[in-house]
Amino acid sequence: MKSVDAQLIEHMMEPKNYGPMQQADSEGIGKNPENGEKVVIYLRIERKDGKEVIGDIRFQAIGCTTTIVAGSMLTEEAKGLDFQEVERLIEVTMQLLENVPPEDAACTEMVAIALKAAIETYEKRKKEADYPAITYQIENSCAPKEEEE
Amino acid sequence: MKTLAIKTHEAWLTTLMAGFMSSGENKQKLFDFSDILFRHFTWLERELIAEGEAYDYDRDTIPVKVDKLSVILNNIVVRLNQIDLQLIGIDHALGQRISSDLYYMRDVIAHLPDEEITAFNMERKYENISLSEEATDALTVFLFEESYKEYELIMIYNYLKAHSEDAYLNRIFQILVDESFFHLKSFGDMMAKMGILGVPRVISKELYQVEDIEKFLFAGIDEELAAKEECRKLSEAVASNSPKLAKFFDFINNQENYHIELMKDALAHYKGDTNE
Repeated sequence: MKSVDAQLIEHMMEPKNYGPMQQADSEGIGKNPENGEKVVIYLRIERKDGKEVIGDIRFQAIGCTTTIVAGSMLTEEAKGLDFQEVERLIEVTMQLLENVPPEDAACTEMVAIALKAAIETYEKRKKEADYPAITYQIENSCAPKEEEE
Repeated sequence: MKTLAIKTHEAWLTTLMAGFMSSGENKQKLFDFSDILFRHFTWLERELIAEGEAYDYDRDTIPVKVDKLSVILNNIVVRLNQIDLQLIGIDHALGQRISSDLYYMRDVIAHLPDEEITAFNMERKYENISLSEEATDALTVFLFEESYKEYELIMIYNYLKAHSEDAYLNRIFQILVDESFFHLKSFGDMMAKMGILGVPRVISKELYQVEDIEKFLFAGIDEELAAKEECRKLSEAVASNSPKLAKFFDFINNQENYHIELMKDALAHYKGDTNE
């Protein structure tokens, strides 16, 4: 985490949407295969104006403070969006991460792919109610460059 | 019983947070009461295990942002009343003990003097020490990371202890719980003084419902080494502005050495046991 502003501190002090969700419609998992860190996103889907939207969203993480802040921010952004808008949110997030060092990008990527996995799990469960939560692994490495050498 | 344990867990953390917020004579009283509530929690946990009732460490988010101590004190009294309601019909010694403690604590808490709270003002100044922006950021992130980590360790070792009948391991787990309590209290106090107090987040089940103790202890040793490194970096970052703060982080760093030895000891004992 490069610099810590008031907005980030607020997310650290009171992460939004953190914790398990009872009877979620869907779950998705983002994993870091290097260190076992992971993010689980839970969704409750509602219908609004003929579209499926994220009515409620929660997340849990085994990870660092950056992951918690990213989860808090991204889940706040995703709340109330329809699936097309969520896809766009994930796409924009991933584009932004292209300009960030991989070790800083890894945590946010983990949240973004967990959200993508949760949406895809939901679609799968329309055909197969017991479909297991989809898991994606991140591509960015959490280890700073000099530590890899 | 499960609801009772969850509500006690929440009341323990709320009271601990109130202790961090307080900067006056209320502080020690609130810390003492939070310790009592934690002990209630561990005793209730043993009852749940004895009765074969499934349980976990899930709980609700605990809102603690207040301007006046009296607001959080009233909230604690409400929480203690809720616990008392859950005790109706539980006639054994534990129920009576908890009920008696609650009766006393509610009365004391209701009469504690009020205080203005600055634990959430986000000023990020610690005891008039002037830190650079970089050092302040490093300290901020460290405190959030490590306060959660210490809570996590308390819960993990507590869970392992509750599920083990091995006295040798349980002695080690108890030391590690006590040590993490000291660290959590130290970091929580610093966070409150810096105006960035936050309640540690709910811990994921897979962290404490440990399936492979050996693997867990190996990973734990690595984590302690990583924590030492974080303390070392932080000590370096603040040394030029505050030798006093640097000494504190060196002190915490050195405490981790003993934790590592204890975990190695637990590992050797566990391996010896499982190889017999």
